Amino acid sequence: MKKGFTLLTILFAVLIIGIVIAFGFYKFSNRTTSDSAVLSSAPIKIGYLAALTGDYAAYGITEVNMAKLVVEDTNAAGGVLGRKLELVVYDTKTRNEDAVNAVRRMIESDKVCAIIGANSSGINIATAPIVNMGKTPQISTVGTNPLVTVDSNGKVRPYSFRVCFTDPYQGALAADLAKTDLQKDKAAILYNVGSDYAQGLREFFTKSYKKLGGEIVADEGYRETDVDFRAQLTKVKRSGANVLFLPGMGKDMALIIKQAQELGLDIAIVGGDGYGEFMNEIAGSAMKGTYWINHTYLSDPGMAPIFARYKKVYNDDCKEFVNGTMAYDATQWLIDAIIRADSTEGEAIAKALETTEGLELAHATLTISPEDHNPINKAGIILKVDDNLKTQFYKKVEPK
Amino acid sequence: MDIIQQIINGLSIGSVYALIAVGYSLVYSVLLFSNFAHGGFLVIGGYICYFALRSGGMNIWVASFAALIGAGVSAVLVERFAYRPIRERTPVTLYMLIASMGMSIVIENIFVVTIGGRFRALPPVIPMEPVNVFGLATTSAFDLLSLATAVVFLIGLQLFLVKTKWGLAIRAASYNLKTAGLMGVNVNRLIAIVFFVAGLLAAVGGIFLSARYTLYPQLGSMITTKAFVAAVLGGLGSLPGAVIGSLILGLAEMLTAGFISSQFRDLVVFGILIITLIMRPTGLFGKSVGEKV
Repeated sequence: MKKGFTLLTILFAVLIIGIVIAFGFYKFSNRTTSDSAVLSSAPIKIGYLAALTGDYAAYGITEVNMAKLVVEDTNAAGGVLGRKLELVVYDTKTRNEDAVNAVRRMIESDKVCAIIGANSSGINIATAPIVNMGKTPQISTVGTNPLVTVDSNGKVRPYSFRVCFTDPYQGALAADLAKTDLQKDKAAILYNVGSDYAQGLREFFTKSYKKLGGEIVADEGYRETDVDFRAQLTKVKRSGANVLFLPGMGKDMALIIKQAQELGLDIAIVGGDGYGEFMNEIAGSAMKGTYWINHTYLSDPGMAPIFARYKKVYNDDCKEFVNGTMAYDATQWLIDAIIRADSTEGEAIAKALETTEGLELAHATLTISPEDHNPINKAGIILKVDDNLKTQFYKKVEPK
Repeated sequence: MDIIQQIINGLSIGSVYALIAVGYSLVYSVLLFSNFAHGGFLVIGGYICYFALRSGGMNIWVASFAALIGAGVSAVLVERFAYRPIRERTPVTLYMLIASMGMSIVIENIFVVTIGGRFRALPPVIPMEPVNVFGLATTSAFDLLSLATAVVFLIGLQLFLVKTKWGLAIRAASYNLKTAGLMGVNVNRLIAIVFFVAGLLAAVGGIFLSARYTLYPQLGSMITTKAFVAAVLGGLGSLPGAVIGSLILGLAEMLTAGFISSQFRDLVVFGILIITLIMRPTGLFGKSVGEKV
């Protein structure tokens, strides 16, 4: 036994040393290419920050896969500025501290020209000071909180951008849907107390809903890792609310809806863009008739060929189609900016991103406001889950 | 009647915690270390059940049986390859504790890498419809079923420990493993049986958790913390303690969230834990055994 164990230890040690040496070679060979970056043949590095593990992994993996498709296509068509693109992917593990470290590494050691991601407002807010100090533009895919692109004094962060609409708009859309379309005047909110996104969206919904004459009768929090919401839902039931607003993420919202059905809670449900189609699998029949504010829809004609190709390459239905769309268009937008800037310098790319006007993307036409780096006049899409648990386009709301 | 509603909710979640905490305590009682990989067995059970139902097309009984056996066997394998070599080389249980932390991360990441982090749901094989309890509260059929199943398995465990020869050996080992070994008990086989039983109970909990909530690789680590708190509250190593601790935890969570505020829930739960430890450092049912020289 003892002998076997020693042998095992030696084998293990050899394996570890082997990996270290191989990695060293890999690093070394990488270094030699980046040292010769003066030569125009070196690839242009684009950082991609996404949650590949942890609670938001399903969204992040889709984003990275989609971005890879764009990079492959662009390289096959000859690259950008005569150079190939290279995607440098880092996992945020759905944790701010890991995201901050990843962004540091991207800027300092990988020397990426720009960063796309991440798929969460909280992470974008946490990484914003670093990218702005490192003068590396960052495009958020679905970070809807206002603080992603402006600081708390309302000053624009020069290197932070987003391709999605913002939460004040999303909150107003949700409030209008609940009060005007559905005619529900007593709302309950269930939100994640630890999430910047959820806190912000809840605040904007509350503000707009009260302005429309509605009343918030229950306002309950939960924690990131929670899976049981029956205590909060029992309170919602007692409050007499007739609409439940959910500014959360897929897993929490699906479980809330499922448990609401179990408790016999008969209530209209309106939620934000944390929606993912996998929720229909988790919550099943409870999802019928729920409404979701979102950026895009699965049957968007602009995205149809792209989803078809995604399915062919990855053999996956792209259930997180919103993230897929936003990642696709964010990458296209960045490529367009690099071409217009005719440079891979952060400053020039940021300038080009800021002056984007009327850019035709797959899901929308993009014009950026220089004051806050938010897209101007982006339409909101309202989705509704039908009786066959398919997510259908309900209506499109153009900003007034 | 809100209070009855919240008590039923609390008991049903507490009973699932109990299935996991009991396995945890069982391992602790024999080997005197906290097996943090315990949550991993639960996830293994959940995924076996998921794939047996979705891809294998089996019915829930066969799928559950496969999950129980599969999780039990993986627990035995983890013990055989990760803990036994340490156990044989050093009497310090701290090393096994560290190995178990490593194991829990390994299991979690095996699932992330091979199957992916996506949230999955078991097909609706367990009835979920609302049930009215004597006109006092509404609960789901699922809660009553999980409560009943937990009770059945806990009674089964008790019978196993009291009525069988191996049960006797496990109880002897929980007093003193070395002495049990000297009395002619095959210690390695005994420990394998303990892990098998712990893995099996974890899988029962895993199936219920993944049917009630959702199945994802991190499910284990979330629930391990709760089971650990419950086991410490009841007294590490004590099986009735683990059950009572779990029910207290379930009730405390539900009642705080229902009547005070959901934000205060963890504060209250961990407050109870700390106060219990100050008053009774060995937990509610823990036996304080003096260090034998």
